[in-house]
Amino acid sequence: MAELLVQQLVNWITLGCIYALLAIGFSLIFGVLNVIHFSHGDVAMTAPFITLGLAQALATALGASIPAWLVLAVPLAVLAVGLIGVLLDKVVIRRFRDAPAMMALVATVALGIVIRELIRHLYPQGSNPHAFPRLVSGMALEISGVAVSWFALLVVVLTVALVTMLFVFLRMTPLGLRIRAASEDRIVARMMGIRDARVFRATFFIASAIGATAGLLFASYAGVTRFDFGVMAGLLGFSAAVIGGLGSMPGAILGGLIIAGIEVLAQTFVTDGASYRLVFVFLLVIAVLIFRPAGLLGRTVMEKV
Amino acid sequence: MSALLKVENVTMRFGGLVALNDVSLSIDKGAVLAVIGPNGAGKSTLFNVVTGVYRPTSGRVAFDGAEITGRPTYDIVDRGIARTFQSSRLFSDLSVLDNVIIGMHTRTKTGVLSALFRPRSSRREMATCVERAERLLRLGSGDLFEQRYRPAGTLAQADRRRLEIARALASQPKLLLLDEPSVGMDDVETDALVADIERLRADNPELSVVLIEHDMRVVEAFPQHVTCVDYGSKIAEGDFAAVRADPRVQEAYLGKAVAHA
Amino acid sequence: MQARASLAAPGKAAAAAFTITSQLCGATFLYLILRVDGGWQVVGLLALLGLGFYLLERLPWIADYAMASFARVPLVTMITAAVVVLAFPFFVGSNTYMLHLLIVAELYAVLALALNFQLGSANIPNFATGASYGIGAYVSALLAINFGVSFWLTLPVAALAATLFGFIIGIPSMRTRDTYLALVTIAFGVVVQQLLNNFSWTGGPNGLVGIPAPSLLGHSFADPLVIFGWKLPSQANFYYLSAALVVVAIVTAHRLHASRIGLAWNALRADEIAARAQGINVAWFKVLAFAVDAFLAAFAGTIYAFYVSYISPDNFTFLVSVTIMTMVIVGGMDNVFGVIVGAFLLTILPEKLRAFADYRLLFFGVVIIAFLMIRPQGLFPQRMRRYGGDL
Repeated sequence: MAELLVQQLVNWITLGCIYALLAIGFSLIFGVLNVIHFSHGDVAMTAPFITLGLAQALATALGASIPAWLVLAVPLAVLAVGLIGVLLDKVVIRRFRDAPAMMALVATVALGIVIRELIRHLYPQGSNPHAFPRLVSGMALEISGVAVSWFALLVVVLTVALVTMLFVFLRMTPLGLRIRAASEDRIVARMMGIRDARVFRATFFIASAIGATAGLLFASYAGVTRFDFGVMAGLLGFSAAVIGGLGSMPGAILGGLIIAGIEVLAQTFVTDGASYRLVFVFLLVIAVLIFRPAGLLGRTVMEKV
Repeated sequence: MSALLKVENVTMRFGGLVALNDVSLSIDKGAVLAVIGPNGAGKSTLFNVVTGVYRPTSGRVAFDGAEITGRPTYDIVDRGIARTFQSSRLFSDLSVLDNVIIGMHTRTKTGVLSALFRPRSSRREMATCVERAERLLRLGSGDLFEQRYRPAGTLAQADRRRLEIARALASQPKLLLLDEPSVGMDDVETDALVADIERLRADNPELSVVLIEHDMRVVEAFPQHVTCVDYGSKIAEGDFAAVRADPRVQEAYLGKAVAHA
Repeated sequence: MQARASLAAPGKAAAAAFTITSQLCGATFLYLILRVDGGWQVVGLLALLGLGFYLLERLPWIADYAMASFARVPLVTMITAAVVVLAFPFFVGSNTYMLHLLIVAELYAVLALALNFQLGSANIPNFATGASYGIGAYVSALLAINFGVSFWLTLPVAALAATLFGFIIGIPSMRTRDTYLALVTIAFGVVVQQLLNNFSWTGGPNGLVGIPAPSLLGHSFADPLVIFGWKLPSQANFYYLSAALVVVAIVTAHRLHASRIGLAWNALRADEIAARAQGINVAWFKVLAFAVDAFLAAFAGTIYAFYVSYISPDNFTFLVSVTIMTMVIVGGMDNVFGVIVGAFLLTILPEKLRAFADYRLLFFGVVIIAFLMIRPQGLFPQRMRRYGGDL
């Protein structure tokens, strides 16, 4: 029993960190643009494909095995996805900044479809699942008889590192401060002469790159990636951000942990829980939104009348 | 005569900010009350409390003999309070006529089932609304009636204010709350507005009006009851001459004027 | 000046001629696009369509004239429409594939009209229309399979069940808005779909099979339809049934739009706070929009279930909701005619572009984004209400 508990605890934290990283992107973009970037999950899930593609291309061009090239492919993919985010913002998302929230939402839902379909058509045999290697393998340590993998450790360390870096960036650097100012109040920020374009570029780059990291970890955790993983990744990440409170970084992390917790609990304690886990997750989302519409850590914004 | 609207010791706090501090006022049937005060003094908050947009932190609001504190807005409108907004909030993609008809929402009854299964009665109700709305549009200054099929969003500033008033009147209110109706009007239009309000009162002697105003031209026209609010507190009340002479009012305005200069 | 005036107010004869000709042209176009096969012909028709929309956009009086004509001779308009709809299968003849496309288009038209109450009239995002559609289909299918309930009886039961669901998903709309509300509807959609996928009594991922064909006055809908010696394939039964449902949806939409309810929804869309200040019970009207949407969607679901006689959770996914949403956006929010055109175009075009069959979803995605960016008001923008003699 204790073993199972520890095992599930490890699973929970691993998954929770991945969801939190996804949620941070949603929250960051929403904070700055006031737009839900619904295709963020799809953007994130392009990372495993780009990684695989790059590693394969490098392996065929220069020899050596695919796993060896992952070391180079992974950071390149993260960088590329960050740029993809910037590009999507420039071409599509930014135009919906001042439009009704509904339009931005529908547009980004459609954008998600486009991204998924592009992966499906452009990647060789894109309709099929593709095996994705564990980024690190082996067991790192043992807690009461349960071996904790290096991978779980990597996830936690990476999450803590990224969150800390983001925190420092947002609080200490001029650009970070401008991003925060923009998310506090766009109009004021603009009046103070903060150039929107740079702030948007930076926000999208950071959010997408963090998302790409989450996408890689997600594929690595599942051992496989598929063109349509972005839907669920997006829905779960978005839900985590909303449960925690859109625009709130601690909220995004809390939301990620809660959603992962429910999934793990359902799988462990409910018969057939694996098939019903999404039901539980989304019932919780509905409940939170009914009773705390601004999320658990979100501020209720009083609309000016 | 008993008061139509009674605001008693209303305090409204948003977090640490006190928007209204122990404000009391009342208005009789058929009277006009002008509320003046610098920007951000809490005048619009007062309207929001009266119309149920905000629930006051403490204090009570009574209207027409019943307590309405914290009642939902639709109930308060139904009881006979109508308002306009400072930054005119028209339904900009709908026609001028539709804006006014929507104002009659509480005076019409058709529900989904009767709209679906008794289309004739629904159509008759609509026809009556159109007729009344056209009458309201002809009533005021300006040529709103001629522009009745234009989208409200394309109206000139003065016409937008007039349309807001017409829409508010559509609900046949006993109390009309006007939030800076003269904003964006030139002197001629402001005079026409004053004439409109006067005509309105002549036509419905029972109608009470609360005016939030900056333009002293308008306040001067309705000098009997004036209340001045600053920093969420009532600092003076009485007739226009008395309020204007009050040193605290002068300080509130002059202080601001100096600060702005 | 004189010509302008006569254009604005067509005489009875001119109006009748116009309404008949324009509807026949529309029907011919529909027939052609159903009939054609292969790339160039489709491209040609699309070019024609594009030209039509371009003309409508550049010469706004055409639309005004059309509306004025239809309103001038409403009886002629309706009779022409009825004749066109009734006669269409006779021209299609034994081509069951064309009939099938028409039925699917009709059902999507109903779904799009249902969603239009929210998305178009009230600007409430709802990604659960697919779920309401599914609930309608499953409730009626389960009743028919397990209890042998007749199709005609399952229709109202399924509609009531879905309306109840609509009320339930509408309740959070009292407290949440925009993005949050959208997420609630997405969540409901996923929950419903996952439950259908997991319950054993709904057949799990395999769904329900063997839904019996309905019958009317002893005539089974599985049999060919014989009218005046003309023999139409069995699909014609469902074609007429779906057409009747489209009529019901149009009448519903029209009556609600013309009543204070439609106005209240429009007020919500334009400015929720101002709407509240007019005494509109905002929460109730939002819930109402959800209920009406679910009610109509359930009808479509029931007909679909009995038509294909086999349903599975895959028929009612999030993507179905997005497809319906695309039709409303492309057609024109809050424009009944536009929404129907949107449903027909987006059902038939992807089927016709055979070469692109695999790229269908990509096509949808690009179309939505393009429309939202370039023409958010859709092909046929909403029109101002006109009252009485003011046309």
